[in-house]
Amino acid sequence: MSAPLILAVPSKGRLQQNTESLFARSGLELVKPRGSRDYRGTIADFDGVEIAYLSAAEITAQLAQGAVHLGVTGEDLVREMIADADRDVVFIDQLGFGFANVAVAVPQAWIDVRNMADLDDVATAFRLKHERKMRLATKYANLTRAFFADHGVVDYRIVESSGATEGAPAAGTAEMIVDITTTGATLAANGLKIIDDGIILRSQANLVAARAASWDGGQRETARLLLDRLAAEKRAHAYREVRTRFAGMNDALLKEAQEKFGVAAPFGGPTSSGMLTLHCPPKHVHALASFLRDHGAEAVSVAALDYVYARDNPLHERFMAELDRDAPAKNA
Amino acid sequence: MSIMPTNGPDLGAQQLVSSYMRAGYTLIDPPVLQPAEPFLDLSGEDIRRRMFLTTDPHGHELCLRPDLTIPVSRAYLQSPSAGKAAGFCYLGAVFRHRENGAAEFMQAGIESFGRNDKAAADAEMLALGLEATTLYGIGAPEVRVGDVGLFTAFVAALELPPAWKRRLVKDFNRKWSLAHDLDQLTLSAAGSPPEYQGVLAALERSDPKAAHHLVADLLSIAGIAAVGGRSVDEIAERFLEQASLDAGARLPSETRALIERFLAVRGDPDEAAGELRNLVADTKLSLNGALDLFEVRTGFLAARGVDVRAIRFSTAFGRGFDYYTGFVFELHDSKTKGPLIAGGRYDALLTRLGAREPIPAVGFAASIEELAACGAAGGAA
Repeated sequence: MSAPLILAVPSKGRLQQNTESLFARSGLELVKPRGSRDYRGTIADFDGVEIAYLSAAEITAQLAQGAVHLGVTGEDLVREMIADADRDVVFIDQLGFGFANVAVAVPQAWIDVRNMADLDDVATAFRLKHERKMRLATKYANLTRAFFADHGVVDYRIVESSGATEGAPAAGTAEMIVDITTTGATLAANGLKIIDDGIILRSQANLVAARAASWDGGQRETARLLLDRLAAEKRAHAYREVRTRFAGMNDALLKEAQEKFGVAAPFGGPTSSGMLTLHCPPKHVHALASFLRDHGAEAVSVAALDYVYARDNPLHERFMAELDRDAPAKNA
Repeated sequence: MSIMPTNGPDLGAQQLVSSYMRAGYTLIDPPVLQPAEPFLDLSGEDIRRRMFLTTDPHGHELCLRPDLTIPVSRAYLQSPSAGKAAGFCYLGAVFRHRENGAAEFMQAGIESFGRNDKAAADAEMLALGLEATTLYGIGAPEVRVGDVGLFTAFVAALELPPAWKRRLVKDFNRKWSLAHDLDQLTLSAAGSPPEYQGVLAALERSDPKAAHHLVADLLSIAGIAAVGGRSVDEIAERFLEQASLDAGARLPSETRALIERFLAVRGDPDEAAGELRNLVADTKLSLNGALDLFEVRTGFLAARGVDVRAIRFSTAFGRGFDYYTGFVFELHDSKTKGPLIAGGRYDALLTRLGAREPIPAVGFAASIEELAACGAAGGAA
């Protein structure tokens, strides 16, 4: 029996729920055969995959080492914990949940600080006046360093923070912070504001592959089947099926619809009797229905799609191309 | 990495240190394990990822010394000669992650403290550096020289708001930032208007003291005393400083051209001094003794037998470290990428390390690895 592909998924909270429902929508039911407290699982009726339930940080660490093949984790953690992320992992797809911004925040009272250039100046002035550097509390030391270096800010010190970072300025342990925020409400409640150009990273949950994992056994084929399911669901989710039939439907009209509404004709142009199936982005469905009736359609039906399997699979192709490409050279 | 020390480079290094000692420098061997704080504080957060850090049982952050300047400076401050003129030399390993090469490598250098004859001390460092290359049988290394003090004096003399002066001096060591600053300065009026532009414009024309009180009072009313280590006064002061910055304070193109003219000065020290004298005469800017010091230093270099005409000086040359305050230099050989020897003046460092009075300091470090690679058979007798 060939070695399984190990897929690491978050072991608790909203990330776990979202991940499970993402896979469930693709017909992949994550199950724990030995009970809900187990940290290993499988996918019902899908061979060759072992599920590892881990914390998001642990998933990231295991991806870096290649101890798991695929993992669901936040881009913020990957970029923070893996020094050269694009060398060690492949970002296969953004999953549309777990949104969070990593941002620079300062006390609201700093009315003279609006952007990074102001912060740069304040940091230098602070060092000259106080003979010490401003302190910045964060869990994201690496992201912060790279971002501040890009903005030429040098007069600051990082204070590692393991929790409740937003409380550091009020507690007097730091002057400013870098932290994740979704709405900014927690920051505001602590008297902090995000700097105008201070968003370091707009992060969300990603499906990530480890380059260092063993991909020599059956794992590539398993990954292809897995990504085929995910891609089919993703494509189905991006379109509604629109069907109609009328004599006036021809290639010229189809072309116009493609340009106006971004529709696809998965089964080719209209038949001789004008029968046509279209895939249309949800936001254009109603305009398309009007357009078709204006041109003579008696009826237009719109239906949700469960899966759209196509010959090509962009997720899998991108993944394979990335995996086989030599890792990007380190800065020489 | 070899376990046994190889004969070639180590023998050369021993001879090098002996030559330092003959020149009057006391051999010193500071601990390899150092508190991390001074390095992070003085070299910036960027050095952290290149350092070897550890934590003692009390939670204090320690590191393997990434250079010897700070350890030697600390040892000097803890010694009885602190504050007095004293010179030290060293030979030892330093530890830094590098893209190419082992993370542990040998440096031999000199640190000279407390000498008030700065020009002579500067010249002595470059002369000793050149002697070191001779000792390794390296013919005529390329000598790159700069003077951070000239730029600082030049910026101080310009008519610019204090915030912009701070920025230009800070960004001197980051060349793209400096170019970016100049663009920003020239374009600032075209940028987006500040949030409080109306208020700032109104305040700009009012009595500075009254305006300061007004802003401080407003912050106090909001219940803000001191937030994030900055006092209400500091915030008010800089807020008002922005008034002068934003209320149409655009860098006149003549000033920009002047800065660019200054930074374009290069050549041998005598040529450069001539150009700088012309610049001073054309603009009536005073460089406040920095240019005199520069010329006196050139004199001392010539007196020490250094071929002054072979020196490649540039006003824009800096070593990328914020702690240099004056003379900086590097000796290069075409065979290696990094400098064989590098150093400079760092008069502000010792107060940052806790000295009560400013103590002049200058020094350099020689890379044994690079010297041995370029030298004829690892050092001549």
